Amino acid sequence: MQMVDFEFRNEIIKENFSLNYCYQCGTCSSSCPVAFITNGEFNPRKIIEQSLLGLKDLLIKDQKPNVWLCCTCHMCVEECPQNVFLTEIFERIKNMIVLIGEPYPETFKMQAKSIIENGLAIPLSQPIIRRRNQLGLPNVESVNINEINKLLKATNFEKKVNLLGES
Amino acid sequence: MSYSYFLGCVIPGRLPFLEISARKTFEEIGMKVGDQAKCSCCPDPTGAAQLDHETFLALGARNLCLFEESNNHILSLCSGCTESLKTVKHILDNDDEKKKEINSNLKIIGKTYKGDIDIKHFAEVLYENIKKIKEKVKKPLKDLKVAGHPGCHYLRPSEIINWDDPLNPKTLDELIEAIGADPIEYDMKNDCCGNPVEKTDKEISLSMLESKLKSMKEAGADCIACVCPACYQQFDFNQREINKNNNTDYNFPVFYITELIALALGINTEELGLNFHRIKVNDVLQKIN
Amino acid sequence: MGENLKRVMVIGGGIAGIQASLDLAERGIVVELIEKNACIGGRMAQLDKTFPTNDCSICILAPKLAECFRHPNITLHTLSEIKNLSGQPGNFNVKIFKKARYVKEDECINCGVCIEKCPMRVDDEFDMKLRKRRAIYIDYVQGVPSIMTIDRENCLFFTKDACRICEKVCEREAIDFDQKDEEFELNVGSIIVATGYDIFEPTSLGSLGYGRYLNVVTALEFERLICASGPLGGHLKRPSDKNEPKKLAFINCVGSRDIKNNPYCSSCCCMYTTKEAMIAYEHDNEIETSIFYIDLRAAGKGFREYIQRGENDYAITYIKGKVAKILEDDQKNPLIFYEDINTSQVKQLKYDLVVLATPMVPKKDAGELAKILGIKIDDYNFFKANSYHPQKSSKEGIFLCGACREPMDIPTSVIDASGAAAKAAEIVMRG
Repeated sequence: MQMVDFEFRNEIIKENFSLNYCYQCGTCSSSCPVAFITNGEFNPRKIIEQSLLGLKDLLIKDQKPNVWLCCTCHMCVEECPQNVFLTEIFERIKNMIVLIGEPYPETFKMQAKSIIENGLAIPLSQPIIRRRNQLGLPNVESVNINEINKLLKATNFEKKVNLLGES
Repeated sequence: MSYSYFLGCVIPGRLPFLEISARKTFEEIGMKVGDQAKCSCCPDPTGAAQLDHETFLALGARNLCLFEESNNHILSLCSGCTESLKTVKHILDNDDEKKKEINSNLKIIGKTYKGDIDIKHFAEVLYENIKKIKEKVKKPLKDLKVAGHPGCHYLRPSEIINWDDPLNPKTLDELIEAIGADPIEYDMKNDCCGNPVEKTDKEISLSMLESKLKSMKEAGADCIACVCPACYQQFDFNQREINKNNNTDYNFPVFYITELIALALGINTEELGLNFHRIKVNDVLQKIN
Repeated sequence: MGENLKRVMVIGGGIAGIQASLDLAERGIVVELIEKNACIGGRMAQLDKTFPTNDCSICILAPKLAECFRHPNITLHTLSEIKNLSGQPGNFNVKIFKKARYVKEDECINCGVCIEKCPMRVDDEFDMKLRKRRAIYIDYVQGVPSIMTIDRENCLFFTKDACRICEKVCEREAIDFDQKDEEFELNVGSIIVATGYDIFEPTSLGSLGYGRYLNVVTALEFERLICASGPLGGHLKRPSDKNEPKKLAFINCVGSRDIKNNPYCSSCCCMYTTKEAMIAYEHDNEIETSIFYIDLRAAGKGFREYIQRGENDYAITYIKGKVAKILEDDQKNPLIFYEDINTSQVKQLKYDLVVLATPMVPKKDAGELAKILGIKIDDYNFFKANSYHPQKSSKEGIFLCGACREPMDIPTSVIDASGAAAKAAEIVMRG
């Protein structure tokens, strides 16, 4: 049985009040390309419904529907007749999954790791640097990684994203 | 105030030939765009930005500060970066509490966000110069049927992006028209290419791509034009994979809109590094010559 | 205060204005009925049937039109608009602008010869531009007053100083190109505003394809398509290929209950989509209909049973889920994307014809009329009604009825009209 967690709902509402306005019409699912391809297995309306009901375990632990499947195209946000900012609410839920230490897709972790190490999602490789020269492109000056480290330390990023993934 | 490039991660690190087309195009229409050093990941609105909001804001705000320090507006070569940076700016400019929090983080590295620069997507700036582009066209791309793919973050969320019609976009097609090509109508024009879902489920990502390709094919496209390196990768790298899995024969050459504009402005194909495209562009080059 | 006049002005000759006029006239009060169009009848005249009885709309309306026309206490001012208002309750002074008809009202016998001969083809607004009319025309055959009108914007005589064919063929010599627009004043004790509504234009909702896909139409267009007096003579065909549609879809709340467009509920779409599906089924028993809805708001007496009947006897399937996206296949069949909320599945279905249930919106010029009359409008641009006495406007002596104050169906408009008539009568009977 799923437990209702009002704190969870209130936490989302605190960050994004628009959750309150949803009247469950299904416009979001109708406009969602991922919902269509998965025949509603990924279902933005359901994620919002479960958020409103405070079904935290279903969203955070079971990840049903899997919020990481949102393609962030924001069609739902544009179409929503109640101006619910769905993609922002999904971002909050993803943040919670990460913070609690529940598993999340490896590719996101790899990007986080690259940002911690290089300040960039995709660092410059030697072949690419050669290709840039060949095309006559200017050098890309490297990121001040010292500054990035300081900032990421301030936001506690490395700890939050739980790169070793023990959970 | 003048513009400087925000290159992002994907273009300089993986697709430098898209960068050269943009630089040549802006040069050709007489716009001087500077270079901004030391920017970090924007952060990726479909990736790292989803992990921790505080970090998203901190890294984004730092990037904005760099441009403020050098007194330049941002000209972004990537739709994802544009969305991230516009979102961070939107939050900083409208939420004093968040701004205070972020500035206290920025203080550690000796920076403060003030809020006096603008962020523009490169296609937005091109569109503003559409008259000049039309005047400078040397080789109109006559009869070339181009499926414009505006993509998501170029348009949405409209409250933050504040540019073009988020459900019925026109600017990309008008740019295609400006260089003498034929922007075709196709049903799935406004749909996502599927790239961001690749991080979670490759199969779904490819299905999304296939529906787009199918719709483009039905509409008789010769090639695809896009304005975002993530979309570019999805189209240029994954058509073969779809063919392999589904026994199809999609083979659309994929262009950055700046590549098509550069061609129309008479820039040499070799200079543009078109040979680095995975799907060969020869048929299109023949058609326009 | 001066003399208290036993005379009321009713602005708008739709079902609400007509009912208010008849009520007042029967009480012995003189009514000045002002109508902007060439005929009275309003929206109700455009409808094929009415719910929940599925009666023929014009059959109910036509006797009331005739009664209005011949009632000794009612003076009909068609082609007329309000220009100015002065005075106070009990004695208002209203300036009227009356456009020239170019047809002598007393001479024309509605024989229709002029229509046959007129060479101009103009979009027929009454038929939702689904067919053409001539530059000399009558909105609909039962129109009252039952006489022709020349549309100055399109008549060749006025645009190119040519033609005059109607003048030549009219045996009654009823055509009069020399008629001039008039301005005159009327004194009345109180005023009833019954100007009705416009229909929300769904072209701005790009994802639904209205305006782009031929087989996506609005509900009012559908009324005309299926109406015996409509452009198809009552044989329902879809616009793209004139084939008989077998699978219909109705989409409720298109542009209503929507913060980005009209936040309010239009209150009658759940019912009229069911009605339209029923009529379609009565035309052709092979027709199957889906109605996509958010909530079924069937709040009137007998309304819930009406929906039940639709489900049981008229092959209507009600699907809970709002549609945000329509595409089209190569046969021009609309493809609807939707979530069936009862199963959480997201699917695509092919239909022959899709009908968008667009809401009532305030008249485009409601703000202007409000300014002239000195009454307030609400957040949506409907005339602002008093919370406790909904037929009262914000100004003493001016009353509201029908959809000009909020969306409502025909029975409610009629009740509203009688209420407004009673209130308006109070003022003029006072002294």
